[in-house]
Amino acid sequence: MRKQRNIKKANIHIDMTPMVDVIMLLLTFFMLTATFRAAESEAVEVALPQTLYTDTNKMPERDVLTISITNKGDIFLDVDNYKFRKNVFGDEFGIGLFHPDTTTFSEAEQSGKVGDKDVKRSFVKLNKQQFEDKIRELKRELRDASGNPKAEFRVVVKGDKDSDYGAIEDLISSLNETNTKVFSMVTMIKHEKPKE
Amino acid sequence: MAGGNFDAPDAGQSRGGKSYKKPARRGVHIDMTPMVDVIMLLLTFFMLTTTLSAPQLMNVNLPKGDVNKDKVKLAANNILFVRVTDKNEVFVSRGKEDGSETNADKIGMKELSPRLEAEHKANEETVIILRFDRKSKYSSLVDVFDEINRAKLKERRYAIQPMEEKDKEILKAFGGY
Repeated sequence: MRKQRNIKKANIHIDMTPMVDVIMLLLTFFMLTATFRAAESEAVEVALPQTLYTDTNKMPERDVLTISITNKGDIFLDVDNYKFRKNVFGDEFGIGLFHPDTTTFSEAEQSGKVGDKDVKRSFVKLNKQQFEDKIRELKRELRDASGNPKAEFRVVVKGDKDSDYGAIEDLISSLNETNTKVFSMVTMIKHEKPKE
Repeated sequence: MAGGNFDAPDAGQSRGGKSYKKPARRGVHIDMTPMVDVIMLLLTFFMLTTTLSAPQLMNVNLPKGDVNKDKVKLAANNILFVRVTDKNEVFVSRGKEDGSETNADKIGMKELSPRLEAEHKANEETVIILRFDRKSKYSSLVDVFDEINRAKLKERRYAIQPMEEKDKEILKAFGGY
């Protein structure tokens, strides 16, 4: 019995210390670089185009007016403040839907989907006039809430890389109409070096 | 350090040899398995929830003022037309003083920023007029802006205008459409 026990005791001990060290490092790295994506704050998912040019502009944190354009030409209007959403779209998670192209139908309105994903948030269908009115209403909400009559949203356009330029053209004309002269297009950084 | 745990010759001797008596191990062994399990879980969690490539922004400034009232007169030879067709082909031409324009060159998207630099070198007053076909892709708009931003220009002056039938006629003559 005693001999057998001795043999059992001779099992292999793997020293896990280096592995734990490495994993700890990785963990710290990911914890420090983590920026969580809030799934519900994302109205719709689009495939963003890539650009080489990098400037220091990152996504702003607050007072963001997000306009997403899907590859089927649907434009979603969203804002990061749930009070504004409640006042303007009638629901705390409401978003606006605008389909500028009158020759086709809105994908989200017909099937309730964007691509193969359901639109989880309730949306209000808008025409051009209503779309512009909603932007104005949102701006008024922001100004009332902040008490600053000149407060402006950071307007962020998230276009799908395969969406038609026509939808953007209509969007730009609506933005012009609502006196939104500055907006930003969201892109991903392309890491390859340009061939020259 | 912890090598004594699985020292191969030592282990062999203790198993086979009778003359050598193994000294009793005195080191304190902490079982790290549960800790490693937890850390692994945390690691997976953070790896899956992070978005490493944070999207960045490309700023676009539309001309301020009323479109109908505030018009700026441009000398025709200061205008550089950049047109993008429905097939996402880029055509560049420069305006002439008599209102016509030079032959439209079809260039690749990557050649746009060197071309813009050259055009700006030739004429520092250059204003880029961008015209996109409604059927062109959004990515080509972004690419053109990318090229404009990457070109080393003293002043970036550009305007987006709608593509008209007249533009399509011009491009037809040079192999567009």
